[in-house]
Amino acid sequence: MSAPAARREAVDSPPAPTRRRRRLDPALLFIAPAVALVLALFVYPFVYGLILSFQPYGEHEADGALGSYLAFFGDPRERLSIWNTLRLAVPATVIDVGLALPLAYRLRRPVPGQRVITALFVIPLTLGTVLIAEGMLQFFGPAGWVNKTLIAFGLVQQPVQFLHNYLGTLISLLISDFPAVFLLLLGYASSIDPALDRAARVLGASWWQRTWRVTLPMLAPGIAVAAALSFVATFSVFPSAVLVGNPAGETRVIAFAAWQAAYERYDYSEGSAIAIVMGAIELALVGAALSLRAGGYRRMRTEGAR
Amino acid sequence: MSPSSRATVTPKLKSLRVRELTKRFADAAAVRGFDLEVSGGEFISLLGPSGCGKTTTLNCVAGLLEPDEGAIEIDGRDITPFPPERRGFGMVFQNYALFPHLDVSRNVGFGLEVRGIAHSEIGRRVARALELVQLGGLAKRYPAQLSGGQQQRVALARAIVTEPPLILMDEPLSNLDAKLRLEMRLEIRRLHQSLGLTTLYVTHDQEEALSLADRVVLMREGVVEQAGTPEELYAQPRSLYVANFLGYRNLVPVEVGEIRGDTVSVAANGFLFTGTRRGTLAEGGAAVATIRPKDVQVVAAGSPGCIAAAIELAEFVGDGFELSADAGSGQRFIARTTDRWAVGDHVALRLPPERLLVFPSEVR
Repeated sequence: MSAPAARREAVDSPPAPTRRRRRLDPALLFIAPAVALVLALFVYPFVYGLILSFQPYGEHEADGALGSYLAFFGDPRERLSIWNTLRLAVPATVIDVGLALPLAYRLRRPVPGQRVITALFVIPLTLGTVLIAEGMLQFFGPAGWVNKTLIAFGLVQQPVQFLHNYLGTLISLLISDFPAVFLLLLGYASSIDPALDRAARVLGASWWQRTWRVTLPMLAPGIAVAAALSFVATFSVFPSAVLVGNPAGETRVIAFAAWQAAYERYDYSEGSAIAIVMGAIELALVGAALSLRAGGYRRMRTEGAR
Repeated sequence: MSPSSRATVTPKLKSLRVRELTKRFADAAAVRGFDLEVSGGEFISLLGPSGCGKTTTLNCVAGLLEPDEGAIEIDGRDITPFPPERRGFGMVFQNYALFPHLDVSRNVGFGLEVRGIAHSEIGRRVARALELVQLGGLAKRYPAQLSGGQQQRVALARAIVTEPPLILMDEPLSNLDAKLRLEMRLEIRRLHQSLGLTTLYVTHDQEEALSLADRVVLMREGVVEQAGTPEELYAQPRSLYVANFLGYRNLVPVEVGEIRGDTVSVAANGFLFTGTRRGTLAEGGAAVATIRPKDVQVVAAGSPGCIAAAIELAEFVGDGFELSADAGSGQRFIARTTDRWAVGDHVALRLPPERLLVFPSEVR
């Protein structure tokens, strides 16, 4: 609908400001398949799970609608799964962002061999967690290359236990999560005008001052988004916690707890309740990360786009 | 006569010396043996087409590029090894390079903040700089909320607020529309004079260079083709290249006839005419005759000593007409006149000998 047409209509019928809303843009129909897909694959299961979580089953039925939640929070072992997951997701996110940030900034301009380097960083993205775990079982095993190298250099006497514990899961998360964080930050870093750094230099800013006053503030929105996505991905860890972790103990993550409830105890209600708790925690932390973007930078991006 | 003599403030810089500057990229030299001496208060324009090395030269002076050979000296002191952050110059970039996450006052105050100057003094100096560029009311805006001209003024304020000895400008007006460009040109010249600045100004626009600068350095393929006052370059171009860059748009390949002192007669396509000799010419050799459109006189057909031509195009250009006249054998002349001629009119073109310059054909 063109602007002049809308204006003419407004003049013809001044007291009907709501009329415009009824004239739906036919182009909006193009999003119908996507909406249907979201409804079928996300909204329906979510609502179904939400309802299910308030319909306790078996022994928790007597506790009312919140029975499944009470069962989860009332059991120290179940509660611990939240801590177990945070203990993996937060360090994995911090380390990945910390490693990807300088690399992405360094590679923001074409450098020799950049395509090879970028491709190497991105390969894990194509592998999937299970394949990474398989590779890790060989590579980080007691007779694997990592331990062989460490022993050869005399750094350790006995093979280090990298697998089937917290460390194994953390390494696996770092590997599988790094590419997305790196690519996202690379996109943000390469969109920064290189003239800004030069302007800051000429104005007398040292490397530290340029980093703190120009580069990092400019990258802040990218860091927030990358950290949020990384956190969500690592918080829902499941395969690597089982394959290279210790799902009976220190890597009994919340996704695993939900799976046990639903498919070992066949308590779908508690399984759903745990999944809802998991979603709520993710939402809270993502919200916190994204709200850090507030302030001058967002103002410049929205109001400036006139 | 130089406009800088009217400066009221003593310049902070005594002299800038660029000595035998050479900068190579990959294996091609972007700048070769560039020499320049600037005294305090001067406005110097580096002029040339893109790729002539003018921006490379500027970046070497700024410290953003490291020269392969040569030295930059300020008041007799060699500053070549210094990084840009220790040179203390002001610089205005082509795209302004304002910090998008900082408001106008923080942008302007950036250079003062990183120098650790007291907050109250920063506020005072930023306010004064914004007054100077007439942006007093916009201190709290963000760059994206400003028009191109306003952004340009912020960039200027940011460059001058630290009171640098030398201001470097890299095509600062090329992103503005024609009207704003003229306005900002005056503004830049005004600031230069009133603050006693020393300015090195890079542009590809000959009009900008001639109107702003005390001295123009015309560059070509990494070397200085001619340096001098705007008047000198305009009236006495040293080479065909300079002439062509400064508005000698009519180029006629000719054969050199008789040479008598500075006067030379030349022949082209059966026309015979007389011009002023520039450079070394050999009788019977090839040369190029060149004349500005405004010096070509369009007179009634059949006038003696003129070239017969037919008007092909006539463009109204405000204070007159720009005509394209076909003189036969594919030779066209562009003429600027106030008389009205119609397309198809048969006319005669008179080329005043003192305005028609004859250069040796370029072998480069």
